[in-house]
Amino acid sequence: MSSDKFPPRLALDWGPVSAVDLALFAAASGDHNPLHLDAEVARDAGFDRPIVHGMLTMACTARAFTAALGAGSVRSLEARFVGVAKLGDTIRVEATLEAVEADLARYSIAARAADGRDLVTGSARVGASPLR
Amino acid sequence: MIDRALIGHVTTPTTLRIDAWRVKLFCQATGERDAVYWDEAAACAAGHRACPVPTTFLKALENEHLGAAALLALMGAPIRGVLHAGQSFEFLAPLHVGDTVEICRRVADIYDKKNGALTFVVVDTDYRSGERAVATSRQTMVLRSEVDPA
Repeated sequence: MSSDKFPPRLALDWGPVSAVDLALFAAASGDHNPLHLDAEVARDAGFDRPIVHGMLTMACTARAFTAALGAGSVRSLEARFVGVAKLGDTIRVEATLEAVEADLARYSIAARAADGRDLVTGSARVGASPLR
Repeated sequence: MIDRALIGHVTTPTTLRIDAWRVKLFCQATGERDAVYWDEAAACAAGHRACPVPTTFLKALENEHLGAAALLALMGAPIRGVLHAGQSFEFLAPLHVGDTVEICRRVADIYDKKNGALTFVVVDTDYRSGERAVATSRQTMVLRSEVDPA
């Protein structure tokens, strides 16, 4: 798929995610679930490390689009959290242009940890100019 | 076991102002470096009427309205083993720093999978500014019974 307005592929790397990143996102987002902040709580829930807020991964996913197309370019964004990102992971978000209809493009999205674990699959509709 | 009678429960709307400091904090926490979100001159130069908000910022306002933990407490469910299974947004109109947003959430569905080992809670959210619908979202949470036995 190619288009003069929309890049065929977009990518963004984030991490390694630190304890400070998770604490800062907890404060900024209002999601204070201790699963993201407390190693003991994470262990009790079956995780060897605190887990990254899904919404932090999703914010980075959105950033892959706005970095290329500008603030306000995303019309819809959908994410399925198919895996769990954990403290220390580096997250790679990739988006692939699937279709262009009128002034909007549809992308598929995949986010993975550096070791290959799938974290997010999803899709987005974006415009080349901000929503009015 | 979460009471299925909660399907259809609607939260009392709250109106929140988009404060500049909150947007800047959200940018710091998500690695956002584009100054359009906090520098009004940069925003205007890029064609915005004021500083726009980051794509998923509404989720932070939504948590102030009624976040997952508060919603689950309402259902008598602990937050401990809850995972975010899915999230979607539709953006209908732009939002900027200084705007006010009215937020209202509705429990759209509650269902089990794997013979009750997993319970999914689906919550829809409407965001309005003035008379205009500015966005909608859907959050799906999953509660795992092995982590929080009934």
